[in-house]
Amino acid sequence: MKFERSKDWWMARARREGDAVIGAGLLALDPKPDERASGAQIAAVEETRIAFGKFVNLMRRRRGFSMEQLAQAADLDASELLVIEDDVHHVPEPRTVFKLAETFEVSQRRLMQLAGLAAANDAGFRREAVRFAARSESVQKLTPEESSALEAFVTVLSEQEPKRAK
Amino acid sequence: MTVDVSTIYLLDVETGESVEAELRDAIEQAQLDDWQTKWQPALLTVLQELARKGVPMSQWPQSWHWNWAQKTAKVQGLLAFRGFSVVARGETQGLAQVDLTKASREPSQAGKPLVYLDYLEVAPWNRPDFGPVPRLRGVGSALITAAVALSDEEGFKGRLGLHSLPQADAFYRKIGMTDLGPDPAYQNLRYFEMTVEQARTFLEGEQDR
Repeated sequence: MKFERSKDWWMARARREGDAVIGAGLLALDPKPDERASGAQIAAVEETRIAFGKFVNLMRRRRGFSMEQLAQAADLDASELLVIEDDVHHVPEPRTVFKLAETFEVSQRRLMQLAGLAAANDAGFRREAVRFAARSESVQKLTPEESSALEAFVTVLSEQEPKRAK
Repeated sequence: MTVDVSTIYLLDVETGESVEAELRDAIEQAQLDDWQTKWQPALLTVLQELARKGVPMSQWPQSWHWNWAQKTAKVQGLLAFRGFSVVARGETQGLAQVDLTKASREPSQAGKPLVYLDYLEVAPWNRPDFGPVPRLRGVGSALITAAVALSDEEGFKGRLGLHSLPQADAFYRKIGMTDLGPDPAYQNLRYFEMTVEQARTFLEGEQDR
């Protein structure tokens, strides 16, 4: 299909557009995250996932890595690291979590639990995760408080789960 | 399939100059590559900037809760549909996909065939809501023009339907489309339609001699 109009005609159209943001259709709106399960369940998963995002963020910064550098070191996609650090709704791929655990040298199983991909047996773990998330702020440099919160949490992540009761 | 290329003109906001561009009546692999290698990183840059400034996610533009993989897959799927693209300065500046199988809803033309604009998106660097960056203006208008012209060519007399993004509602009213209200089947996006009369005005409006 050819559509011919003069330069003036097109320029008048462009000017009329002004600062309008033009878009249409659900695809342009960008998809929402997948439908999720019950409210309480989601809240619990998201609580630990906030800790997961903060953990990845702090570990990355402690090593002085940019997202690209971490992506390269862990053989991951930088765009996924970005959503992991910033979007609690994002459900990370298992492979990504394994790669991150490998890179940060923490328990893969624990990190899977933190990412909400596996259930933890102990309530204490979740409590630790929430406490960690509450203590850390997203700022440029790692503060001494963040460093010690991170150290403590790395210890928790490295610990084995308690044996099941009974 | 051969691609028809029409010459159009866009406005460079920074310099006020006109920029020659191509309106192509297809979306090809080159456009999808641009989407992935240029649009997506540009969006990420905006995200990173927001994150760097410490803006909490709750205050980010509503459309940021993305499922990238899903969106990428859908965009890749555009190759299978009839679409348009605007190319300028060697880059894809905007994309649109149309569906010719839908019917009108506006009472005066209900049931008559129209061109339904399934998807319209302009490159992130052309979006004024992403910060005061140099950009080309007129990309969205050109894609809508193409859809109306196609409707005319298909014998649909310019009838056009679309679900507007919330930030675009005012624009569709400004170009004379009829607002048929929020559509629950489309996440409550407002459905707009252009009638034959409105299309005639739209296409000929400021036509010079």
